Amino acid sequence: MTIIEGMTSGFLQAISLGVLPFLVTGAIFGLIIGVIPGLSGHFAMAMAVTFLYSMEPAAGIAFLLGAHSTVAQGGGLTAILFSTPGTGQNAATLLDGPPMRDKGQAGLAVGAAMASCFLGATFGAIALALLIPVLRDVVLFFGPPEIFVLAFLALTFVSILGKEDMTRSMIAALMGLMLAMIGVDNVTNTERFTMGSSDLADGLSLVPAILGLFAVAEMIELWVRGGSLAKDVPNPLSGRETQKQIFAGIGIAFSKWWLVLRCSAIGTIMGLIPGLGSAPAAFVAYGHAKQTSKDKASFGKGNIEGVIGAESANDAVEGGALASTLAFGIPGSSSMAILLSGLFILGLETGPQMLNDNLDIVFVMIFTIIIGNLIGTVIGMFLVNPLSRATSIRASYMVPVLLAIIVTGAYAADRSLFDIGIALVFGVLGYLMKVLNYSRAALLIGFVLGFAVEKNLYLALLIDGPFFFMEPIPLTLTLITITFLGVNIFGFFRDRRKEQS
Amino acid sequence: MRRKFLKGCAATLAVAAAISSASVALAQTAAEFYDGKNIKFIVPYKPGGGYDEYGRMLAPYLEKHTGARVDIVNMPGAGGMKGANEIFNSPSDGLTIGIINGSAMVTNEIAGIEGANYKVADYNFLGRVVADQRVLAVSTKTGLETYEDVLKSESPVLLGATGLGGSTYVDAVIVGTVMGNNQKVIHGFNSSSDVRQALLRGDIQGMWGSWGSARKGVAAGDFRIVTHSARDGDPNTPDIPSVFDYAAKLDDPANADEILIAWDALSAVGRPVAAPPGVPEDRVVFLQEAFAKAMTDPEFVDKAKQSKRDLNYSDGATMARLAKSATDLTPEIRKLFVAAINGEL
Repeated sequence: MTIIEGMTSGFLQAISLGVLPFLVTGAIFGLIIGVIPGLSGHFAMAMAVTFLYSMEPAAGIAFLLGAHSTVAQGGGLTAILFSTPGTGQNAATLLDGPPMRDKGQAGLAVGAAMASCFLGATFGAIALALLIPVLRDVVLFFGPPEIFVLAFLALTFVSILGKEDMTRSMIAALMGLMLAMIGVDNVTNTERFTMGSSDLADGLSLVPAILGLFAVAEMIELWVRGGSLAKDVPNPLSGRETQKQIFAGIGIAFSKWWLVLRCSAIGTIMGLIPGLGSAPAAFVAYGHAKQTSKDKASFGKGNIEGVIGAESANDAVEGGALASTLAFGIPGSSSMAILLSGLFILGLETGPQMLNDNLDIVFVMIFTIIIGNLIGTVIGMFLVNPLSRATSIRASYMVPVLLAIIVTGAYAADRSLFDIGIALVFGVLGYLMKVLNYSRAALLIGFVLGFAVEKNLYLALLIDGPFFFMEPIPLTLTLITITFLGVNIFGFFRDRRKEQS
Repeated sequence: MRRKFLKGCAATLAVAAAISSASVALAQTAAEFYDGKNIKFIVPYKPGGGYDEYGRMLAPYLEKHTGARVDIVNMPGAGGMKGANEIFNSPSDGLTIGIINGSAMVTNEIAGIEGANYKVADYNFLGRVVADQRVLAVSTKTGLETYEDVLKSESPVLLGATGLGGSTYVDAVIVGTVMGNNQKVIHGFNSSSDVRQALLRGDIQGMWGSWGSARKGVAAGDFRIVTHSARDGDPNTPDIPSVFDYAAKLDDPANADEILIAWDALSAVGRPVAAPPGVPEDRVVFLQEAFAKAMTDPEFVDKAKQSKRDLNYSDGATMARLAKSATDLTPEIRKLFVAAINGEL
């Protein structure tokens, strides 16, 4: 099957009457799961898998992947309107989304986020399609030395994430690295920082930690402050005004196509790297958007570019993450592992056979991602109005309801009461960090990447010895990292001198 | 007088009621007991993995043959140990069962890992769903054609593995110790998927793993199976000699054989479905029969085949024997295994 044949057949299948209804159902299901804090794409897919047994392959894929691809969109909605990340990967949206809401630009932010999600997903899907002929080589490009250097490069982005204060960002990032070490280290099989608790032996779970740091902390702040979520807006936006803003937001996302393209590329590349996940991709893209912006100071205070950067990387990750799953049947993330078992149930096998014989199925996936996100954008627009009205409800009503949902979300992923405790402890920590002006984003990125950095450093040392970074590819990446760090440190001191003089 | 009479009547009635209800309880068969009840089926891993899939695939057929409702409950944690503990320590009414990672639970028990609050041999086994056939896969790009090439290699053969004590690690060091060949185990990979990716990249030359996970790479021509753990030959890899065949040519074949038998028992435990100890015998027998019927239900077998999931059914009695032989080791072999699990070899 040639690529053109596969593409045509895949497209016709994706829009056929036997498939499209499943795609729409999946997309709506994913959007709702995304809106609920704590329920992630992993959760949506795990629930969707149980329905697959009686489905045709194309319909099953559309349902499964449709549900997965819209989750980040729904999550972005919650992040902007309720200062609560709907899923882990929306944490970066919190930096600029809620400040925009407070300025009365909720519709603008949501519109831009939705459109960026769609554009990012489309970019990732097209990149995947273009890479098909060389997919195997691309996936094998990343080994432990490369992943170590790239994860380290991503880690250096914490220096630009925080608002101004480099020292505090560093402290937060190091704390994140320390938190990542909790649990049984499977290199040495020793327990670290578990204090004898078997619940800590598996390490801290990401979802309750993120919910605590951002969502619970926000609830504490709201409770203490009183009033409503949208603090500086006396009256809720009217339906008409919101609708107008949404379209304006979509327009802005399209007009900043170059930024969308760059951030999408960051997302796709980070998706290709196994084990990094989508949360750091969004942060790195956010950092990049800030770095390259003329108006750096307004980031974190409601700059629409921050929303666009984070959200476009968010969904571009999909295309990259699918690559290793399709090329070798090796899942790069837990969601992809579920996709793989779903494909098994449908009687399909990924790997070289699929790339040769079932190319149409690959294109059904690619078109599912694109169409699913389009559906998500359209339906998400209708969700904004009722949801945005809720943001002007008084704290004394709002906090208990949202807190109940957040706690349920923390519990649902692993059905663990301990995770509720983690969310609450991180909530207090997050609140303190917010009050004392420490960057929670830096802590999160340290926490997420700490694991990847440590593990891959160990493997790189075992495989290639102490000078593993002298191999051509890692060396290039190392040089990029050092240059990047150098530019940042230089910029930091230059800005400081300016301030002093 | 009258009051006394009434009291007597009441007492007689109460006794009669007690006796009749007792006799009902006695006469109630296990089938009647399960009819309409809810069975909690614990899966010790997250939704979406192999264990979860087996559990969800099996549940409707267990319902069909027990008459009870079967609720899947995912209870991930501590590498499957949390769920295994939960099954072992749940009420012994026969309403809680679950699938366990038999091999890993045996390994943890032998090594005396903290938090292993169970004894594998004391479970009431309903039977086994599948046993993972262990194979040594090498990359086709390494130039290693047979296991002899691996054994003769002058430079150390790099074998990838996940964490210390994981099955990919234990297999590699136990077989390596028995055969005494020149090898280096690179451990610390996050998952067996990551090990396979490293194998494709050529960072490592081989890995021990289950046949199920190597199958696809073999079909694609990326991997080659050079040896395996099936003593009597493996239908999946018919022309390839097992480790036992190679061990027979060693200087001390008896000792090697003893170690390898213990090692093989470990993988033979596979993925059993178990109930806690102390469940009334008639219920255990009933559940074992229902499990046997579910596992051989043509519809179920067909479904497993369709989703490319292997099945190797074994009955409860066989499983009890396997679990016993896997945990009942001679002191020397136990010492060797504990050392392997703790990474001291």
